[in-house]
Amino acid sequence: MAGNRLYKSAAAAVLALALVPLVPGAVDHYAFFYLFLVFVHIVLAQSWNLVAGYTGQISLAQHAFFGVGGYTTVLIATALMDESGFYFNPLLLLASGLTAALFALAIGYPLLSKLAGDYFALGTLGFGEIIRIGLVKGGAATGGSAGVSMSSEPFETLLPHYLVGLLLAVAATVLVAVLMRSRIGLALMAIREDPVAAAASGVNVLRFKLLAFAIGGFLAGLAGSLYAFYVFSVSPGGFLNLSWTLYPILMCVMGGNGTVLGPVIGAFLMTAVFTAANIWLPGAHPIISGGLIIAVMLFMPEGILRLKAKRAGRQPAKSAAATPPGESSNMQRRQA
Amino acid sequence: MKKRALLSAMAAAAAAALLPAAASAAAPTEIRIGAPISLTGQLAADGLDQKWSYEQAVADANAKGGIFIKAANKKLPIKLVFADDQSDPAKVTDAMERLIKIEKVDLLLSTHGGDLNMAGALAAEKYKKFYMITTMWPHMWTPKKLKYSALFFFDAGGGAEVPFKIWQTMPEKDRPKKPALVVEDSPDGQGFGGVLKDLAKKYKVEFVMAEPWAMGAKDYSAYILKMKSRGADAVLLFGNPVDAITLVRQMKEQNFSVPYLHGWKGTWPYEFREALGEASDYVLADGFWSMDYPYPGAKALGERYTKQYNKSNTSIGMFYANAQVLLRAVENTGSIDSKAVRNAVVGKEFKGTVQGDVKFDAAGLALVTSTANQWWKGRHMLVYPAQPGGWQLKLAPPWDQRK
Repeated sequence: MAGNRLYKSAAAAVLALALVPLVPGAVDHYAFFYLFLVFVHIVLAQSWNLVAGYTGQISLAQHAFFGVGGYTTVLIATALMDESGFYFNPLLLLASGLTAALFALAIGYPLLSKLAGDYFALGTLGFGEIIRIGLVKGGAATGGSAGVSMSSEPFETLLPHYLVGLLLAVAATVLVAVLMRSRIGLALMAIREDPVAAAASGVNVLRFKLLAFAIGGFLAGLAGSLYAFYVFSVSPGGFLNLSWTLYPILMCVMGGNGTVLGPVIGAFLMTAVFTAANIWLPGAHPIISGGLIIAVMLFMPEGILRLKAKRAGRQPAKSAAATPPGESSNMQRRQA
Repeated sequence: MKKRALLSAMAAAAAAALLPAAASAAAPTEIRIGAPISLTGQLAADGLDQKWSYEQAVADANAKGGIFIKAANKKLPIKLVFADDQSDPAKVTDAMERLIKIEKVDLLLSTHGGDLNMAGALAAEKYKKFYMITTMWPHMWTPKKLKYSALFFFDAGGGAEVPFKIWQTMPEKDRPKKPALVVEDSPDGQGFGGVLKDLAKKYKVEFVMAEPWAMGAKDYSAYILKMKSRGADAVLLFGNPVDAITLVRQMKEQNFSVPYLHGWKGTWPYEFREALGEASDYVLADGFWSMDYPYPGAKALGERYTKQYNKSNTSIGMFYANAQVLLRAVENTGSIDSKAVRNAVVGKEFKGTVQGDVKFDAAGLALVTSTANQWWKGRHMLVYPAQPGGWQLKLAPPWDQRK
């Protein structure tokens, strides 16, 4: 019954968000852009949630997949398409997500088969740097440090970005929810809890880790593509920025890592805090962001969604971020 | 409870974003100009200079009573608002959204740097707001054929040609015969180094050493020994301030001096002077502008900056002039309509800015001259373009003969 109520509430919230554009003046309001940014963050946060929250593999490469998605969109659009005809081409969006997923598979196989825990995290961080340097040194093909841009002429309103963003955010959340209710989700959570026990139970640990990593890469690539369609330009400084990894992590941790709705709540709240700090405290917002990160880690390491359960004295489900580093790492290293 | 908490959280978040709108519904009794600025991040030092310059230009215009706007039938004061772009190209669009949708700005002044300004120009294009740009390479902006921006800067070739032009003005005996080229191993370094090599061919100059250098290295002894052994009498270097400081410091430690040392990117910031003290004397630095320019207001602007910060600066005039052009375009058209203001810039000439006379072509591009300034007793002295009665280039004596 409680589950049904929650789904009905979520459906009502999505419907309300879908109807927002009908409010007079809404599309031209800054809040509309804020919601678009929230949707991008939800997709990114769900991508990390799947890999780290549910599978227990701390990835620090989501910004790389985000960048790959963005670059794929702009490079294909500028090289192969008529600039007036590519606006929100769904195939291009999909291709950008798939390219990021291919990158995830290519780097995920060596990393996930050899490394676990902290070592895996550092490996993914290195992968992000390789992509960034590759783009900087890519010469004319990638535009070097200046990046590549496409014509913003087709832009008329933020409405299509908003609707596509909402669709992707809902799709990413539903995908995570469906996966977690399937055998795949069970396997992923089993790997998170104890990879050795999961393997002993017949779970192909590497295959499922790779699957989660690739889906995570796909979602991050979609988010990058969507954002590229909005800014019309990509550059290593803008798209390979580590904040595209750190902010989603923070959103997951704040909302509830390893839960379906935690990243959604985290994205709404954190984006609001960052936006408000930017508006009212320009120049001081890094202090706000830094302070918030420390506060979240100190006081809410298990996230908002688990606060109630914790207060009621129930044992919250264990997630990668909530697990003491040593415990998780040792367990995973044994598996590796 | 869970549902209510969830909805409350979402409502709070939405409200937080909506609240600023309440302040923005004021009647248009002023000219609202916005600027995305790098107030934080790695470009913050430049961003703060840019902010200061824009503020000075607007304060000077307001001191004259503002600008006459036909629709209001009176002079309106200018309100300048900023939004932090965090030195991040992906955040420039966010800053532009804030300026356009919350602050309701009429016109925009640019941020600093190529990729940031490209993001800003594209956002301006989306929302059809005029964006007056400086500090962006023309080869990035021109092919885009943007309709809501104009650019005011020099091209990379013009900036790289400066030392060759200076050498041509020197007596034959003093001209460098064996220059060395050291450029950082980055796309910008490679690109700029390539232009310098092409120009060397044009001017029939041969580099005795032309090598990329590793960024962030702690030891440049190998480069110095190579230059020493090949008898280098000039060094052209392109690198960030930290690397430039390290190189000059190690040149002094190894008692290797060249009469002519010209740097780009790394030798103009004041931290170069602060780190090296008198060892920075004689070193030349690139720049956008100089307070030694004979143009109206240039000296006063430089003095105002020096009085406030106790140092000199070679970029504030470019930013100030960028705002001057925009404000004069508003004045000339008597309108704050973006299309009208752009039309008042494109193909027009603006005489007597702190950057001199600035003439825009039909595409909206105005090319200005890059400067070369020699460090002397903690001040940037203008060497190029040479001014009548201005500073005369001093060639550096060996380290042990410097006072």
